[in-house]
Amino acid sequence: MTRVILALLAFLAFAPPALAAPPEPATLSEGQVLRGRFVQERHLKGFQKPLKSEGHFTLVPGRGLLWRTDKPFAMTTVMSPSGIVQEVRGAETMRLPASKLPFLSKLYAMLGGALGGDLRSLEGLFAVKRESDPAGWRMVLVPLKADDPAMPIRRITLTGARLVEAVEIVKPDGDSDVLRFLDQELTAGPPAEDEARLLGTADRS
Amino acid sequence: MSRRLAAWAWLALVLLAGLYLAHRIQDGLTFRTDLLALLPREEQDPLLQRANEAVSRALGRRVVALVGDASRERARAAVQSLSADLKATGLVSAAGDEIGADRMKAMGALYFPHRRGLLSEGDRALLLAGRGEEIALRALSQAYGVFGMADANLLRADPFLLLPSFFTGLPFPLSKLTPDDGLLTVVEDGTTWILVTALLAGEPFELDVQERVIGAFDAAVERLRRDSPGLQVKRLGAVFFAQAGSQAALSESSWLSSLSLGGTVLLILLVFRRVGPLLHNLLALGVGLGVGLSGSLLLFGELHVAALLFGTSLIGVAVDYSLHYSACLFDRTAGTPRERLAHVLPGIVLGLLTTLIGYMALMLAPFPGLRQIAAFSILGLLAAFLTVALWLPSLDRAAPLRHGAGMLAAAGRLWRFWEDARWRPARVLLLVALGLVGVLGLSQLHVDDDVRRLQSLSPELVREQEEIQRRIGATTATQFLLVRAADDEAALRREEDIAGTLAALKGDGTIAGYQTPASFVPSARRQAENRGLLRSALEGPYLAAQREQLGLPPAPPEKDGEATAPLTLATALGRGDVPFLSELVLGPGLHVVALQGLTRPDAVRAALAGVEGVRLVDPTADFSALLGKYRQRALLLIAGSALLMVPVLVWRYGWKGALRTMLPSSLALAIAPAVAALAGQGFTFFHAMALVLILSVGVDYSIFCAESGPASGAREGVDRRPVTMVAVWLATLTTLLSFGLLAFSQVAAVHSFGLTMLVGVSLSFLLAPLAAGAGAGRKVTTPARAQTAN
Repeated sequence: MTRVILALLAFLAFAPPALAAPPEPATLSEGQVLRGRFVQERHLKGFQKPLKSEGHFTLVPGRGLLWRTDKPFAMTTVMSPSGIVQEVRGAETMRLPASKLPFLSKLYAMLGGALGGDLRSLEGLFAVKRESDPAGWRMVLVPLKADDPAMPIRRITLTGARLVEAVEIVKPDGDSDVLRFLDQELTAGPPAEDEARLLGTADRS
Repeated sequence: MSRRLAAWAWLALVLLAGLYLAHRIQDGLTFRTDLLALLPREEQDPLLQRANEAVSRALGRRVVALVGDASRERARAAVQSLSADLKATGLVSAAGDEIGADRMKAMGALYFPHRRGLLSEGDRALLLAGRGEEIALRALSQAYGVFGMADANLLRADPFLLLPSFFTGLPFPLSKLTPDDGLLTVVEDGTTWILVTALLAGEPFELDVQERVIGAFDAAVERLRRDSPGLQVKRLGAVFFAQAGSQAALSESSWLSSLSLGGTVLLILLVFRRVGPLLHNLLALGVGLGVGLSGSLLLFGELHVAALLFGTSLIGVAVDYSLHYSACLFDRTAGTPRERLAHVLPGIVLGLLTTLIGYMALMLAPFPGLRQIAAFSILGLLAAFLTVALWLPSLDRAAPLRHGAGMLAAAGRLWRFWEDARWRPARVLLLVALGLVGVLGLSQLHVDDDVRRLQSLSPELVREQEEIQRRIGATTATQFLLVRAADDEAALRREEDIAGTLAALKGDGTIAGYQTPASFVPSARRQAENRGLLRSALEGPYLAAQREQLGLPPAPPEKDGEATAPLTLATALGRGDVPFLSELVLGPGLHVVALQGLTRPDAVRAALAGVEGVRLVDPTADFSALLGKYRQRALLLIAGSALLMVPVLVWRYGWKGALRTMLPSSLALAIAPAVAALAGQGFTFFHAMALVLILSVGVDYSIFCAESGPASGAREGVDRRPVTMVAVWLATLTTLLSFGLLAFSQVAAVHSFGLTMLVGVSLSFLLAPLAAGAGAGRKVTTPARAQTAN
């Protein structure tokens, strides 16, 4: 599942260089911060309605990712090279040091690679199909290894213009996540003080 | 005539003993190697022993290597190639503790039906504290969170996601490693280290297993290194240590034993310039060993390999008797074999008597090991003595030797050193020096029974082991907790009762981790408690809201989780899906708690003191303690047997003479350990065993000298002392060749034994003429004396 995240993160940060022509690709570098809002719908079989959550995120290259859900309840998730920490209403509900979570360390290697514009790590895991038109681009990722228990993903579809705007992740059993990114803003300079503090919480593990 | 009859009778007895031995060998004679057999009977604990063996076998059979390379791909390829090569030997199987995806799935299938009774320690604590809401929130955060770890099926069946929490709470060792695409990996400073584990199919101490496995391992590593020179391979596992140890021991023992055997044969041939004495010696020794072995097998039914080892050494004293006899070939006054025997018999009989007294004292100890050693040696010595006394004169056809004049003169110098007035300053100097060494050494004497210092571990392997432990996290200690109860349920409850204590020990760093069977399969009592807790503290207050928040329909009318029987240990073991569990459960109600990174065994022992049915087992410490007990006992027995020898010597030489006879060996007994202490050695059981030998050898030398003292020759107008001295010379040199050489061994225990022997026997020899005066005071009317003068 974490590979889903890494794919997501990779494409939050930049558009593939191969699609350079119409939409200008953005590649994040150290010293920049990407902020935006997200809407996540999780479609689960046997559930009456999708689990829908909304919030905003901050991506700081080299430091990590803040994923702050506002609805249906306040929840903050911090991912950093040292691990993942989740807080709900101020109480920590999960703390996974990178050493404990399978693939997490690899995830960060790949995140770093992706931020640096290095696609190789992703291409080692997925068959990538790209399409683009003047309005934007679309990319379909299919795992190279079918039925890999370590990669419970059937397909990932990314669409975007300059930045990634939507991601759909389909799991083998048909469950799916649909993520939309809105109001994305790329700024130079350090993260805000509260963002830096939150990013720091994942480091003490 | 009666002598002839006795010789034939002895032959019949030896043949009988030989037949019995052959019969036993045909039945497949094996020697016990377990420590249990060495413990005093009242301290024997078969269950503990079984646990000990099971745990050390599990640990000992593990082959661990860490393969590192700057390139992840190269490291992975190397690991796969190395594993394949190891498997190809047919002596190694997969360790079975990989926690891959399949394993996780199988464990999920095992636990899922019983999930209502399974709670992680943390969740249980939260529920007990009435903080169920936090668990509900955590599940929601996982359902809604960016890491959608919960799948739909699991959420529907387990809306609080308690089972995943139980899973992550399972105590797996190897904490620093992370599975990376099926291989346990840790990345450090840009190097990818991957763990290779395997289990030996055979015993790590079998030479054949060592050669084939290590051979395949080394060949694979060499080939891989050729392809990628940057590849690093670190090794850990008993088989590596055992192989390094046996390699060193084999090469060492081959040159030590050829030197010892060759030296002895050469010495005897050179001195006598004929084969006869050599054959006589071999015969006496062979009969001694054979009868000793046969007799003690008959007595005890079985022998411990340690008894065989030490017993063989002690019987080595028997060579002195036949050498003493053979040395009489140089005695012009003894023309016939009968006369030769008559000359040496009093000395040999007395020597035998005192030695037997010494060894019999070992019999008094309640230690089976010492008893076996004693019985083996006593029988062997008696047999060697009878062979010398009954057979040698008949087998011996040689006339007195004429070539020994120079040798006799040389041997006689030692007498003169102790008698001539001009050597007096040297004598005083020597005694003062010895006194000084004794006082200095004894003041530094300390005992050290730690068995670890007796092993000679390859320093390179020790370094690699430390490196591996640093990278993968603390490895499982040889110490463990043994939990005993009437049945599995009771044992699991005990483990749950001590869980808090163990957690505290982990908290203060005394241990780095632990695995109890109960952490994988809680007791039925705990599972029932958990179900109750789940109902009252979580489902009652929060289930409806949780399902609504998740968009699930209201809970179906209770499908009744209570009807589900609790998960039993037997079921979990039968499925074989839970890693390590089978190593932790030795039998019904007999469980092991594995410990990692144990720093202070005493603290663990103290923390668990008074807990019924739970004890810390420290095989190394237990073995050290056993060696300590044997050391103490052996020392007491040395003192005891020295005292017991005194009456015999007093009867023969009077009080003053007895003291003179005891003086050389007493000095040797004091100074040998002093020298060992000065060499920086702690006093061990092996030093003590050397002292036992020194006492009997030393008293023999003194008796030989006393028997040929001034009075002995004076009556017949012949000085027999040089002949005796040649015998003592020979006895000393052969003893030094067989035991003194061991001082050059790299094996600590053997080295200690050898050094002590070297010093003690040399001193006994050097000081033996001091006893000569004893013979002057001896009573002439004793039967032995009458026979000699005959």
